[in-house]
Amino acid sequence: MKKIKSILIANRGEIAIRISETAKKMGIKTYGIKTPKEPGAYYLQFMDEIIDFTEAISDIPEFLDIDRIIYSIKEFNIDAVHPGYGYLAENPYFAQKCIDEKITFIGPSPDSIYKLGNKTIAKQLASRHNIPLLEGSDGNIKNTKHAKLLAQKIGYPVILKAASGGGGRGMRIVESEDSIEKMFRMAQNESEKAFADPSVFMEKYVRNPRHIEFQILADHHGNIIHLGERECSIQRKHQKLIEEAPSIALNDELREKMGESAINIARASNYRNAGTVEFLLDESGNFYFMEMNTRIQVEHPVTEMVTGLDLIEWQIRIAQEEKLTIKQKDVKIEGWAIECRINAEDVQSGFSPFLGTVEKISITNGKNCRFDTGVAEGSNVTSNFDSMLAKLICYGETREKAISNSLSALSKLQIQGIKTTIPFCKAVLNHPKFIKGDISTSFIVKDMKQLFHQEQDEEMIAAFWAALNYNVQLDIEDETYVDYEKGKNMTPWLMNKRLKSL
Amino acid sequence: MDPNGKIYKDFLNRIERFKIQNGPEKIKKQHDKGKLHARERIALLFDKDSFEELDAFVTSATPDTGLGKIDEAFGDGVVIGHGQINGRLVYIYSQDFNVMGGSLGAVHAKKIIKVQDLALRVGAPIIGLMDSGGARIQEGVASLSGYTSIFHRNIQSSGVIPQISVILGPAAGGAVYSPALTDFVFMAKKTSYMFLTGPDVVKEVLNEDVSFEELGGAEVHARKSGVANFIYEDEENALLGVKKLLSFFPSNNLENPPYVETSTNKDKNAESPGTIVPDDPNKPYDVKKVIELIVDQDSFFESSEQFAPNIVTGFARLNGIAIGIVANQPKVLAGVIDINSSVKGARFIRFCDAFNIPILTLEDVPGFLPGLDQEHNGIIKHGAKLLFAFSEATVPKITVILRKAYGGAFCVMNSKNIGGDYSYAWPTAEIAVMGPEGAVSILHKKELQNAEDPKKLRKEFAAKYRQEIANPYIADEKGYIDEVIDPANTRKKLISAFKTLENKHIEQPARKHGNMPL
Amino acid sequence: MMFSKSKKNKQKFIACTGNNKKYEFVNPKELSIKQGKENLPVEIIQDKQGFVYIVWKKKKYQVDVIEKNQNQYEIMVNGVSYPISIESPFSYKRRKYLAENVEESKVEKIHAPMPGKIVEFLVEENQVVKEGETLLILEAMKMQNEIISNIHGKINKINFQAEDNVMKDDILIEVER
Repeated sequence: MKKIKSILIANRGEIAIRISETAKKMGIKTYGIKTPKEPGAYYLQFMDEIIDFTEAISDIPEFLDIDRIIYSIKEFNIDAVHPGYGYLAENPYFAQKCIDEKITFIGPSPDSIYKLGNKTIAKQLASRHNIPLLEGSDGNIKNTKHAKLLAQKIGYPVILKAASGGGGRGMRIVESEDSIEKMFRMAQNESEKAFADPSVFMEKYVRNPRHIEFQILADHHGNIIHLGERECSIQRKHQKLIEEAPSIALNDELREKMGESAINIARASNYRNAGTVEFLLDESGNFYFMEMNTRIQVEHPVTEMVTGLDLIEWQIRIAQEEKLTIKQKDVKIEGWAIECRINAEDVQSGFSPFLGTVEKISITNGKNCRFDTGVAEGSNVTSNFDSMLAKLICYGETREKAISNSLSALSKLQIQGIKTTIPFCKAVLNHPKFIKGDISTSFIVKDMKQLFHQEQDEEMIAAFWAALNYNVQLDIEDETYVDYEKGKNMTPWLMNKRLKSL
Repeated sequence: MDPNGKIYKDFLNRIERFKIQNGPEKIKKQHDKGKLHARERIALLFDKDSFEELDAFVTSATPDTGLGKIDEAFGDGVVIGHGQINGRLVYIYSQDFNVMGGSLGAVHAKKIIKVQDLALRVGAPIIGLMDSGGARIQEGVASLSGYTSIFHRNIQSSGVIPQISVILGPAAGGAVYSPALTDFVFMAKKTSYMFLTGPDVVKEVLNEDVSFEELGGAEVHARKSGVANFIYEDEENALLGVKKLLSFFPSNNLENPPYVETSTNKDKNAESPGTIVPDDPNKPYDVKKVIELIVDQDSFFESSEQFAPNIVTGFARLNGIAIGIVANQPKVLAGVIDINSSVKGARFIRFCDAFNIPILTLEDVPGFLPGLDQEHNGIIKHGAKLLFAFSEATVPKITVILRKAYGGAFCVMNSKNIGGDYSYAWPTAEIAVMGPEGAVSILHKKELQNAEDPKKLRKEFAAKYRQEIANPYIADEKGYIDEVIDPANTRKKLISAFKTLENKHIEQPARKHGNMPL
Repeated sequence: MMFSKSKKNKQKFIACTGNNKKYEFVNPKELSIKQGKENLPVEIIQDKQGFVYIVWKKKKYQVDVIEKNQNQYEIMVNGVSYPISIESPFSYKRRKYLAENVEESKVEKIHAPMPGKIVEFLVEENQVVKEGETLLILEAMKMQNEIISNIHGKINKINFQAEDNVMKDDILIEVER
């Protein structure tokens, strides 16, 4: 296959910038899409060429408008498209359309995307290749009676999930047989509403599991390696907030076992390019395959930091059918990396999205610290897009050092105008259980008493600052000189006319 | 005079009695209810040692009417006088709840009338601090007569001197009309009430349970009735607010508003107010942010903030000169004009006009609020008030069209044809007879009916309409506006434009008064 | 008793926090905070980018006024926000008296100001909202309108979902004080 000379980045924010940086390094020309929702966006500054989508021509959001994107790629004669994450990254139809139009899609084949994107098919695939799975329904549940029987077989608690779902919607945990019928119907309804597909499946529910995922690279020549694991157990409502690599819960033996399973599932689906295999790890060290994400992940930088590899570069190289030059034995995990997601969310008000303008931002870039940001001073945060503004990734030789480096970077990272998850990240990193590594996906709900970090005397400092501001305001108003005399001086013209008219 | 003799002792005794009447015990009585004493309020308002009291020692005219004993306290429940606020003469009356609940009897009324007459005679602002149980029943018709005389003077002074009412306790029945006749009403939250008929009567007549706060508290009057222009958490901040408001007003209708030197130079590297307006014409934004970027720093003082928030009214300074601002608020109901916002805007404009305060209009209005409710309640005549007020005002009037200016709303919002002196538009302005959606339905009715994908076609037509018809350049080229300006230059432009209008005067036809559609 | 106007006098400010804790400051403009019997100095610094810091007891705090309305402030310290109301000794007493003696209706109902379609809710049930905070976006007359909260409080109930059509005066959200 020919070398890629130009890429359309069909995404926005930090990932668009991230992709453009690697592309630039590789001498590839980048094209970005300008949308009417944020025509002055920061990521556009990093593109070689900008394609203007500001004029609305349909109701489809710009980054999901397959026809328009394909048309633009042809129009500008662009070689390849990188979808980033979200949007069209896991859309098999788009990937197929690219192939039809002879455009290089930087990602896996439409077939892999389709198979791995459907949880039921993915599980069947895994079970055929003896990859450990949570016990569950083999396929979708037919009716309430079926649900009851299955739950009896698996044993409570069980979880019901939408077959086409994700992001926690359509999920129901059932603790006992009393509520199985009701919950099944609710899950179906929710699933129908959210995804226009009422199919629901069931599996064993694991208490306090860890979220462990393996980064995979696979080329077109049958080589598949894994780049070790990431732990993403710090989640709120299935949204990851802090990720790290490697995981404190894995020893070499377990790592090898899980890595092998990850490679197996990739092989079974004839996978190419970068992907991530997600597992649940229970308290006794059993792991279960959850799903495979067929895209670059938000949290990929922690893997990059501990392996020294550029994953975007490998995505592009694999897409132009280069051979993987790294063998599994060459992959060395060194040190520790932690990523904190900086979201525009008001932690004190239930993580509600916070909209506004980034008035000021002080960026911390250091030796052990990488700041991938999608915003800069003056950027607007609107409800059009998700709330992630930036990611702070810090490195240390040990986990302790990575934590302390993260904390010191977080304390230097200041954002004015927008409330962010910085105080939340500080609270997690200061938490004794997190420091010990004693975490699970229910950490936030179960172990955190306060969701944001407060320094000693912080409230008093706030009170003082308010009192001082008020005091100064009072003095200004008290000392303001109001010049009433000036109002009495007017030209004879005006004075005369005014007198006459009264 | 013998310092130990009876004559001097009598004199001292009288002063002693006066001191006790206003002593710590009485002050504590007010404090225990969360309120300040009538004299403390005056002390907070006036420059140090500048207050001169009048008629401190008068007592009630009819100590016993047979309806019960009347307190023979000095002053008869109201403190009157004059003093300086920021170095300027202001008259005041402050009701003392400690004396017969601040009730209004003949002498009490006479004292208020006295300061009202004095203020009008010398052309100075007057402030009333109300804390009164209402008419003094024991004095019968004499107190009603007193009220009426006060109302009459309120009306005589209207438009001649600024009148401010501050409600710091109850104001019931007839007592509410004096504040209603004045220019601005302040209220303190939770300790002040205004209503014509109290909760007891409501209960009796309608059998509805309603609390003082729900019936006539500060929040109700700020948000629902619009009676209160300014409300505060406490009395001290309320009185500070009164001082601040006065700093925008001249002493009378012959003078120009005062000048305040601006300490900060905003003309350098300021953010352009244009950045606040989103590109998407259907997206809301906060027009107050635009105002803040145009006027002198921290000078904007909003009036009637919570009532009809779809229009913003308030005072500000532009290079030290006081101006009044009327702005559509796209953040609330898209800035549409309805009954309440018309009335709110009209009253504000008329105040500015009466006291020579130039008016700046910031326009972003999609039109009038449609619907049965509005039409049946008379949006026609209420909207006409706004039109009347803008058209009638002879002070300098400048409009900046920020975004939408459609149809009748464009005419009403101080267009050049009703006497606007200058009319500017930002490049984001859309000026046309109607909005794109409506216009497309009429202009392209046939095409849309026959279209395969009418939704898509409609969008295309709307975009075309926006670009070709609803832009500011056509109005500019035809002279309906003066200039399309760069938003970044708005402040500079306005300062120099208002400067050229300093000497503006318009001859009015001789008449008693116009007939505003009330 | 009240905020005195003479600069010679001691000016005492009482800062009340959201959870009704109070801090007292005498003449804050002298830039010191009392701890025990000692007055410890406060330093205010501004960095090149314009971020403002308070240094007290050798510790640095980034501070910012997010909002102010009369005597009500929202202060951000190190990214955490604190609602603070500044009272004089008298208004503090008044506040306490009113809290004990004047009852307020607990639930504020937010009505639809006009018929329209709900675009999205920006809040969830049980979320704490501030006065003036946008609760939802209602589309009517082809315009998106922000529906804002009149009070500080907690979202008690949300009666509709995104995409629902509502009539004028429908109760959209109930906020509890």
